[in-house]
Amino acid sequence: MSDISEKPHGELWSREGFREDPYITAETLEEAGDAPAIILPLAVWLGLDEEVRNATNRKIGVSVAPGESIDPLLTLLDTIPVIALHFPAFNDGRSYSKAEMLKNQHQFKGELRAVGDVLIDQVAYMLRTGFDTLKVTHAVTLTRLADHNLHDTPVYYQPGRGSHTAPGTYSWRRVPAV
Amino acid sequence: MYRYDEFDHAFVSARVDQFKDQVERRLAGELTEDQFRPLRLMNGVYLQLHAYMLRVAIPYGTLSSRQMRKLAHIARHYDRGYGHFTTRQNLQYNWPALKDMPKVLDELASVEMHALQTSGNCIRNVTADHFAGAAADEVADPRPYAEILRQWSSMHPEFSYLPRKFKIAVTGAERDRAAIQVHDIGLHLKKNATGEIGFAVYVGGGQGRTPMVAKKIRDFLPVEDLLSYTTAIMRVYNLNGRRDNKYKARIKILVHETGTEELTRQVEAEFRVLKETDLKLPQKDVDAIDSYFAPPSLPVRPEGWSELAAARKADHAFSAWVDQNVTPHKNPDYGVVTISLKPIGGIPGDATDAQMDLVADIAEKFSQDEIRVSHEQNLVLPHVAIADLRIVYDLLLTDGLATANAGLITDIIACPGLDYCALANARSIPVAQRISERFGKPERQSDIGELKIKISGCINACGHHHVGHIGILGVEKKGEELYQISLGGSGDEICTIGDITGRGFSSEEIVDAVETIVDRYLEIRTDKEETFLTTYRRVGAAPFKDALYSEAANAA
Repeated sequence: MSDISEKPHGELWSREGFREDPYITAETLEEAGDAPAIILPLAVWLGLDEEVRNATNRKIGVSVAPGESIDPLLTLLDTIPVIALHFPAFNDGRSYSKAEMLKNQHQFKGELRAVGDVLIDQVAYMLRTGFDTLKVTHAVTLTRLADHNLHDTPVYYQPGRGSHTAPGTYSWRRVPAV
Repeated sequence: MYRYDEFDHAFVSARVDQFKDQVERRLAGELTEDQFRPLRLMNGVYLQLHAYMLRVAIPYGTLSSRQMRKLAHIARHYDRGYGHFTTRQNLQYNWPALKDMPKVLDELASVEMHALQTSGNCIRNVTADHFAGAAADEVADPRPYAEILRQWSSMHPEFSYLPRKFKIAVTGAERDRAAIQVHDIGLHLKKNATGEIGFAVYVGGGQGRTPMVAKKIRDFLPVEDLLSYTTAIMRVYNLNGRRDNKYKARIKILVHETGTEELTRQVEAEFRVLKETDLKLPQKDVDAIDSYFAPPSLPVRPEGWSELAAARKADHAFSAWVDQNVTPHKNPDYGVVTISLKPIGGIPGDATDAQMDLVADIAEKFSQDEIRVSHEQNLVLPHVAIADLRIVYDLLLTDGLATANAGLITDIIACPGLDYCALANARSIPVAQRISERFGKPERQSDIGELKIKISGCINACGHHHVGHIGILGVEKKGEELYQISLGGSGDEICTIGDITGRGFSSEEIVDAVETIVDRYLEIRTDKEETFLTTYRRVGAAPFKDALYSEAANAA
């Protein structure tokens, strides 16, 4: 727990706290210059040469809009350092299903990141569907996360990440693992 | 019935505490109405025309006497002494103050109730046959499965931001009293050839501005797959349902645009992945939930039948009420009593605090402490001994609750309409009241027989007008309220969407127009046994259109 930061040093949040985001977001590889860690749009990322994509001297992640399919990524998951799923508005819930599929069905081992309209009321849902990190810009959300106030419930009625079965009760019930 | 355990209590009280905090921040001005809106909606708090409204969930329409007394208490202390039972088996309070909302939610939590997921683009209160666990024709009680779905859908992390609201209904009899084919998912509990219990699964029904009858995508789904299959449907919908236009965002549009065959293929493919996961229901869990709904042990009361015969002979009004409002029970010594919330000229679905208390008292003494709310906006006493019918009737009579009109022309469904609702274009309640008065005479109603009138005050169809035998839709045209009529709709197992007759009628004309339709029906039915719906299905719209429009032309 030593790396929990009490104040936001950056806007990238995980259960361990805030940390600097090593990635920059760019529209093209050229635009990114020689940045060591880049996130590119899905179409651009898919258009890269395999050698460029798998280069060991830098990390190239991919961002996916809600209307884009994750199917083309499924055979390449082992090579992707980070997938950023977009929430253009808090009420666009498509990325929750993609998170669930990437982490649970396809065992994506890289970093799964939520970007966009990330609000405090959605944080618990994001963690439970499989997101590792959240890129946060909303002021109230930043404050609440800094206070470790996740607006979570003490029990859950569905299986999900970050929880374990609640002994002595029904199969679908869970309690938080942390 | 289901009782909360510690797990449920912990969940609901955490949600109430969160909402208290949010209301305090709103009242203190820290949250704007815009910021507060999605938070209050998650707790069932709407902003209506005149005030905030609270919609309380009544899962699958089942209430105990204690819960009903609490609803009466809330009506008395936080509202204006009444509540409104809705077509989704919920209860709405129209006048509570925002500052009192957390207290009201505390009061509800004390009797294991809440207002969660009664609004928003999430899985809403799961509804079921209001005669569940009692009706003579039932294959199995649908409520245990509705309860499992209620739990599983509560604050679902993947399915709380769907394209649009999502409604699930479950029935356990061939006779569909839960209107499952006009729900996003309809589940029909049945037995297969080897006697196992499972579900026929219907998807993509709904009303609103694009009414559609659901498509059956599975004839028999084993119980163990209930949550995995539902998850598969929800996931396909969450990923692919339209989000560009809220009027095209329900799953019915996805089913329609994708095609039933392709959508079924997608659901089945997702289901194959989910089938052998944590979502598989162990039989012991199903049994444990089922045990909450074990049939009550009903004393043998054979004396009822002779007493009933004598009582009916002595009192014609009582006899008419038994004919109309009592349905056969599994146990021949018992009946299922419908308490009409449709007094002649009254507001459909409204009940005062005193009436709620009275129903609670009667249920405690004479119906195994159980009450149901029907989607037809009535209350139900599911387990009344035939021998007790007379005293139950007398008690109901003391506060205007013994109207003998269940299923008749004055048993009207109506949405709140322009009297309350911010979305409405026209009033619904006054039209319902005037129709009720016009046809209120017992002999006339009885002669007309089964006839379901359903009235909506706008295209959103909360009053289910599309599935009314006679449906009435209020629209606004050049500043005037105008009422469009549709005929031949039905929400039961032979589900049909009504056909629009033609031009609409003014508020002054609409009741006469309904009477014209009814008179034509009486002229052309083969005999008294042929109901309005059967007649309509035999002859079609033409005779009714003739009557409506040629008569209007003659009068002009």
